[in-house]
Amino acid sequence: MMAAGQYVTHEEVWLSLPWLANGRLSQAERDRLEPHVQTCSTCREELTLQRRFCNALTEPDRVTYAPGPSFRKLMERIDSAPPQARNDTARDEVARPARRPVHLWRPPGLAWAAGFVLAIGLTSALTSVYNSARPLYQTHTDPVRGAPNILHIAFDRSVTVGEAEEALRSTGARIVEGPDSSGIFGIAPSVVASADTIPEHVSQEMHLLSARLRADPRVRWVEPIPGDDSSGGAPAPLSRGP
Amino acid sequence: MKGTQYIDPQTPAEPSYRSGSSAAREVELISRIAQGDRKAFEELYGLYHRRLARFLTRLTKRYDVAEEVINDTFYIVWRKAGDFRGESQPSTWILGIAYRKARNAFRSSSRILAIENPEAPPPPLTTDESLRTEELRDWLVHALVQLPVEQRLAVELCYELGYSCEEISSIMSCPVNTVKTRLFHARAKLQKLLPALGGLVPKDQGDRSSSGAGVKS
Repeated sequence: MMAAGQYVTHEEVWLSLPWLANGRLSQAERDRLEPHVQTCSTCREELTLQRRFCNALTEPDRVTYAPGPSFRKLMERIDSAPPQARNDTARDEVARPARRPVHLWRPPGLAWAAGFVLAIGLTSALTSVYNSARPLYQTHTDPVRGAPNILHIAFDRSVTVGEAEEALRSTGARIVEGPDSSGIFGIAPSVVASADTIPEHVSQEMHLLSARLRADPRVRWVEPIPGDDSSGGAPAPLSRGP
Repeated sequence: MKGTQYIDPQTPAEPSYRSGSSAAREVELISRIAQGDRKAFEELYGLYHRRLARFLTRLTKRYDVAEEVINDTFYIVWRKAGDFRGESQPSTWILGIAYRKARNAFRSSSRILAIENPEAPPPPLTTDESLRTEELRDWLVHALVQLPVEQRLAVELCYELGYSCEEISSIMSCPVNTVKTRLFHARAKLQKLLPALGGLVPKDQGDRSSSGAGVKS
């Protein structure tokens, strides 16, 4: 442990004096420490005191302890304990570090948590992809935007509201929506179709109305009825450039 | 420097329970206990009962508590004997179990004692040399009560049961330097207490603990 003749400090000797006193140092350790004790009066006196402590505390007992009754109590306790518990309990009572039991199947714990996080991430990613695939804008040809039997119309910027109303009135149309933030109106024929009107007649009326409005130079564009195959859903040509 | 004469010839002899033959016998007993041999268990119990009873009664001041700790310790020995692989001395293994049981018991019993049995200090030390050792023990026991439990246990394991620093380190599950530090502080406190109690230590040595300065708690 310690080589004889090696340099030793007073503090090191001082810390080791209890074991020099109780006789539990190795010969090599004693050979190393004793020269200092021989020359240091403080350590020598302390060693004497330490030995007195050891002797005092190892004096024979004035009390006799009889183990018999205690042992009988212990055996009663052991006998009353479940026999199968002998090698399976009290794992934490010994200094050896406790080992976790090994199971063929383990509670999911971390694996489940990781799977849950992965599922959330995947769902989030798919949602992002879906959202990114959708246009961030809507047009007036968008089926969800347009209502049946309504045309969308944009007038030239120089056209006043009164002129727009006059143009609509002259072509047999009326405003039913808008204008929205872009100045787009929703219009419908002035004459409301009755419930028993044939759908083909309504469609034809809307096409005629659309044609009349496109002919008006104050109208920039008129959007056909959404979903109308006859118009192909294609944007109508601008009546006039921007 | 072997055989220098200043060394007190009254150095405590190696306790018989720690001799090589005793350790081998205990290993054999533990092996038999692992097979359920009650005779071997009774023999091992008898070997340790006296020293544990003395150590624990001094620590807890109550034999009933000491007996409970001893039986808790040997209950574990009975159940765990099959796990003992001889990696440490049998006495270190058993004392390690007893230490953990005693530490808990000490904390609860010391609270009881503080209420039920405030103990008066022993009378001053006599000048009769034949009685001095016995009285010194009484004074030491009285002074030990005033130490923190970990320091007190370290003192008892070193002075009374005669364990080496490494063995105490194993029993208390702490580093060797921690054992030395606990003993250092315990000694410093004892040296302050004992001169006042019985004039054991010369007055000019009342603060010799500073000679070992540099040890931190």
